Amino acid sequence: MKTCTEKIFFDLPLTLESGSILPFFELMVETYGELNSVKDNAVLVCHAFSGNHHAAGEKSEETKAGWWDQMVGDGKTIDTSKYFVVSLNNLGGCHGSSGPISVDPTTNLPFGAAFPAVSVQDWVSAQKHLLDHFKIDSWEMVAGGSLGGMQALQWAISYPDKLKKAAIIASSSKISSQNIALNEVAREMIRKDENFFDGNYLAQGSKPKQGLKAARMLGHITYLSESSMSKRFGRKLQNPETRIDTKVSYEVENYLQYKGEQFAETFDANSYILMTKAMDTFDPAKDFGQDLVECFKQIQAKLFIASFNSDWLFPKEYGKDIQISAVKAGVRSSYVELEGEYGHDSFLFHSDNYSASLQNFLETNDELS
Amino acid sequence: MNSLEHIVINWVEANSKVIDFGCGDGSLLKSLSRAKGTTGYGVENDPLKIQDCIKNGISVIQQDIDAGLLEYKNMGFDVAIMASSIQCLRKPKEALQNILEVANQCVITLPNFGNWELRTGLLKGKMPSSPQLPAKWYETTNLHLCTIADFEELCAAEQFNIHKKVYLNRRGKTSWLTNCFPNFLAAEAVYLLGK
Repeated sequence: MKTCTEKIFFDLPLTLESGSILPFFELMVETYGELNSVKDNAVLVCHAFSGNHHAAGEKSEETKAGWWDQMVGDGKTIDTSKYFVVSLNNLGGCHGSSGPISVDPTTNLPFGAAFPAVSVQDWVSAQKHLLDHFKIDSWEMVAGGSLGGMQALQWAISYPDKLKKAAIIASSSKISSQNIALNEVAREMIRKDENFFDGNYLAQGSKPKQGLKAARMLGHITYLSESSMSKRFGRKLQNPETRIDTKVSYEVENYLQYKGEQFAETFDANSYILMTKAMDTFDPAKDFGQDLVECFKQIQAKLFIASFNSDWLFPKEYGKDIQISAVKAGVRSSYVELEGEYGHDSFLFHSDNYSASLQNFLETNDELS
Repeated sequence: MNSLEHIVINWVEANSKVIDFGCGDGSLLKSLSRAKGTTGYGVENDPLKIQDCIKNGISVIQQDIDAGLLEYKNMGFDVAIMASSIQCLRKPKEALQNILEVANQCVITLPNFGNWELRTGLLKGKMPSSPQLPAKWYETTNLHLCTIADFEELCAAEQFNIHKKVYLNRRGKTSWLTNCFPNFLAAEAVYLLGK
């Protein structure tokens, strides 16, 4: 699999939904496979909340496999021997694209909390410039799970003729108050960390690692299902010799402590807040008088909507709601309910029915209209 | 193309919005789309058939028909199709009432349990089978088999208007003789119902 990683500098202003303007911006991009001569095999994959540009393959021994490595690669569901797959770190992220840890040219200090709020629509506006960068007219498919699925849906609404298919997996057209509440608890944990300094911790030479760790531990629980946790950890006690902390009794505690700590080392707290806010505010119907059907009348792409039975964070009703509005709007769209035992995280992992359905969707080019 | 597809294509107006409950691999919707430019959605609950629909480029919704026909009310469907599925549902009468809420025109097909071959099979003292009803009694998904006479009696009682009907013999053809004695000779019946 041919893999290229590059940071692309866009020397043009980007007006954000909030009205703020980024005078220029950078996107960290990773691509897999090769663009064919007629340029009709490009697929954009959009990362979920804590993902980044590294979607597939193992870059080096130190780096983990990409977040969608089970689905993207040579001979896999999104087959990189056939498709040119583009993945990026979104604006406001902390893995190379312009975001809170970037240096503000006006102050020569990291933006920190001063980095403007970005929305899903802003991400998609920024991603649109990738089409021009790669000199591609349209995507064969834009795909993503969770917050990534929201981007795929926004693409279909914002740029109807710039994609043929959108795969919206374990996602929603807007999240519930329960989802927002969980995000707010996570944000509060970060804000209450004594090293947060109102978001300007980098200028103070510190990081709110404890808050970020706790936020991630909470988040991690919501991404799993009760049964997958029971199966993996049960009530097994942690071996005292390998435990991360003397306060830890059970394996599940040790696991969350370890994962949380690892995350706090590599993720930026302002990015965490910014990305959860982008998720909270996503609501494409708001520009159409809260009428999702009217909103979906923009769509020309074919939709693939999938939910997982064990997902309690983005339950299957969310997917079904998207489907019902799509049918009312006359959008060609399919909806599948998948087994997936890993809760919300199921979208990350290969399973037979999931992969076959998505692959059939991507690889079918009918002449029906 | 089989005769059922021919009949339905003739009945459905060009550019209609169609929903097919129990759409299988989506081939009827695909034929309709090609012949009449319809916009079609299938409803299916079998994951392998759903995969086939997606491969056929057909929009498909995963759903147990028993659970939610009425969800598709007020969605602007011109035609609803239920081919060889009504006998598999838990409450066929309610399903017919509901499907007529989904669209003004409904195409219903059913295997005729009054067909002479099935009657003679039963005379031998065993559950009969036919090309339309191939499964063994312990494997069949059919819950409410009926004859043409039974079905038309229900339609009359419930005031479901039969706008059109076609009786097909065991070779999938119409014939003068089958039309004379449908309840005895037809293997399958195809109806266009309305309120």
